[in-house]
Amino acid sequence: MTTSPSRIALFASVVALTAAVAQAQGEPDRWWSPGEDRVFPTQLEYENEHGTLRILRTGDPLEVQDHPFFRPLGPSGRACVTCHQPADSMSLAAETARERWEVTGGSDPLFAAYDGSNCPLLPQDDPASHSLLLDHGLIRIERPWPVTRWHESEVEPDFTIEVVRDPNGCNSGPTYGPENGRISVYRRPRPVANVKYLLAVGFPFDPKQGLALPRDPRTGDLLSGNLMADGRVSTLRGQMTDAGRTHLELLRELSDAEIDEITRFEKELFVAQQSSRTGGALDTLGATGGPARLRDSEPGALGSIGEPVWSEFAAWENLTAQNAPELSAEELAFRQSVARGARVFREKMFLITDSAGINSPMGFGNPVRNSCVFCHNMTQMGNDVAPGQVDLGTTTLPFADPNPELPMFRITCHGDPHPHYGREILTTDPGFALTTGRCADVGKITLQSLRGLPARAPYFSNGLAADLEEVVDYYERRYNIGYTQQERQDLVNLMSVL
Amino acid sequence: MKNLIAFFALALPVSAVQAQEGQLVTFVTCPIYRDTDFGRKSGCWLAEDPNTGQRWDVTLSPYKPDWNYAVLVEGRVSDAAPDACGAPVLDTVRTSRLYDTPCPAHMLPAEGYPGREYKLQGRYINPIAVPRDVPPGPYEERVFTLYFEFNQDFLVYQYDDYLMDKAATWLAAAQPRKVVVTGYAATDEREVTGHVLSEEASIAQGRADAVALSLSRLLPELEIEVRTQLGAQTTDDPDADNIPGQSQRRAEIRALFHD
Repeated sequence: MTTSPSRIALFASVVALTAAVAQAQGEPDRWWSPGEDRVFPTQLEYENEHGTLRILRTGDPLEVQDHPFFRPLGPSGRACVTCHQPADSMSLAAETARERWEVTGGSDPLFAAYDGSNCPLLPQDDPASHSLLLDHGLIRIERPWPVTRWHESEVEPDFTIEVVRDPNGCNSGPTYGPENGRISVYRRPRPVANVKYLLAVGFPFDPKQGLALPRDPRTGDLLSGNLMADGRVSTLRGQMTDAGRTHLELLRELSDAEIDEITRFEKELFVAQQSSRTGGALDTLGATGGPARLRDSEPGALGSIGEPVWSEFAAWENLTAQNAPELSAEELAFRQSVARGARVFREKMFLITDSAGINSPMGFGNPVRNSCVFCHNMTQMGNDVAPGQVDLGTTTLPFADPNPELPMFRITCHGDPHPHYGREILTTDPGFALTTGRCADVGKITLQSLRGLPARAPYFSNGLAADLEEVVDYYERRYNIGYTQQERQDLVNLMSVL
Repeated sequence: MKNLIAFFALALPVSAVQAQEGQLVTFVTCPIYRDTDFGRKSGCWLAEDPNTGQRWDVTLSPYKPDWNYAVLVEGRVSDAAPDACGAPVLDTVRTSRLYDTPCPAHMLPAEGYPGREYKLQGRYINPIAVPRDVPPGPYEERVFTLYFEFNQDFLVYQYDDYLMDKAATWLAAAQPRKVVVTGYAATDEREVTGHVLSEEASIAQGRADAVALSLSRLLPELEIEVRTQLGAQTTDDPDADNIPGQSQRRAEIRALFHD
């Protein structure tokens, strides 16, 4: 997919229509610009394709103009909120990026040359130079190479990186690329909400690393390892410091006071779909969808030994026209489908093969029979209770879908070969290996939470799935699961209410 | 079909049916995955001893095969019926992946066999929110041992994490003056069905480092000294499950209270 004037024009129409509908419904402005004089209330709601997203915030309404999450802190005019928009589940939907391009002609700080374009070297007034953001919702992430340290240990990489393809210019030339210590990869912004679940530690061991969990050197707390796509930092402080230096282009460090304020704000946010366009309110007739339960629950529980994942919708398994006469036939069918989808998510078994972080190095076996909840195992959230670095193949050949707009790297392993790929690996994003320096970690990406999904397409770290259907289809291709059309639709409907 | 297979099982080579309960069998082979479906983690792993032609059910290993690589099988013959996976059962058993010996991936259909329903039992740890019982004193010099796959230094899920959790809970209560972590490697060569096997010397350091790093994370105040020992000999520690090779592939945590 490429960005063309006709595509922009099409989105302009959609944007205008969406805005008109939203205004007619009294919805607050969808876009939060840095430095706006606005109040962040204790409850916000935004319409999306699948229904209504609700954001709950503990505490009092917040004047945001001078709040460091919302204030432009760097020279680009960006703030944290630029890429973590409430209407997009505190992430950023590609459609929102296209809307901003249309509204601002590309002048919004979102499109900052540093990382809001495919590469700063490209002509910045051309939407094609921002195609990865406009088409796939991707932000450029620049990683240093070689990595030298991870947690308390020095690192000496056991692989080398060559650039096979550099369509954007940010992985070659006199200043970019591995020879110059700078590797550019492109990833989706991760949602900053429901944070207590992302920080929760269920067990003191990381089974994927074969080690006890590391500790935060500042606080002594065990670290969940579930914050960043490549696990390069494991604390909110670390994430903010990293984002300040890069995405905000700060020439100074964030102050402790700023970090504390942002941390407090992020921990106060709980986001989930509240109602379905087809199925109605998600917290009725026994269901407990929506963000209130997220706000009120203890985080970090493993679904397999406690409350099963997505049992929020278990009560809908028994809905009938007789016991739920208030539902239309369409609402009833949709709710029944969601309940089935939850069971498919937990119970549809398939063979997981050649996926590092699952089939190696742990002893589950290759293959191993399991379902979606093998990895998406945290009650109410669907992220991994253990640190969730897993290689689904989304960025690595032969499993990754072609995307010629992304760079391609050749990894050559100099120690032990990768157990599933061998000595040479082709990847568009080495992922966790850029953090650990280990060939065995190439392609591993930290699992996401699944809440707020309907508001933040596209999906996977590289935006390969344009919508929820394509998420299911990727898994079907990757693992040959054999979903029926009904199961596929049930899973899509489930994900549309999270 | 299942009955037919059971009939043929009765006609297996004499060496197979003569294996005595408790007998140790050790061999290298390409593993076979049987696609049984009794829910999560219910697939079967089979392995055929090239010396005898006997196919064994090796599914109960805490570290299971990768169908792309050979495995070193070390197991004890059990008297369990071959009902679950369609082969006599090795229990206890270990299946170490030999990543330098590729195999053609091979999968059998379930052929009527159910596999085993996964149940949480044996060596697993509780969530961190569950308080650990404080082990009673008096506390004196004591050794805890962790075990590894052949030529690996990776702490095994639902085996080593359990042993480490037990050690860390005791150490937190006992507060020894220091601990000495010794990583062992079974560097002496042995021939197993035509394969000459020995662990790399560096794996002893890797095991010691992995255990020491984990201990330092769990108990940051603990003083830890790291040592290595090559040419590891067998022990009779029950946590090695009566598998001599497993007892060699270990790391020890020795708690010391005096100079």
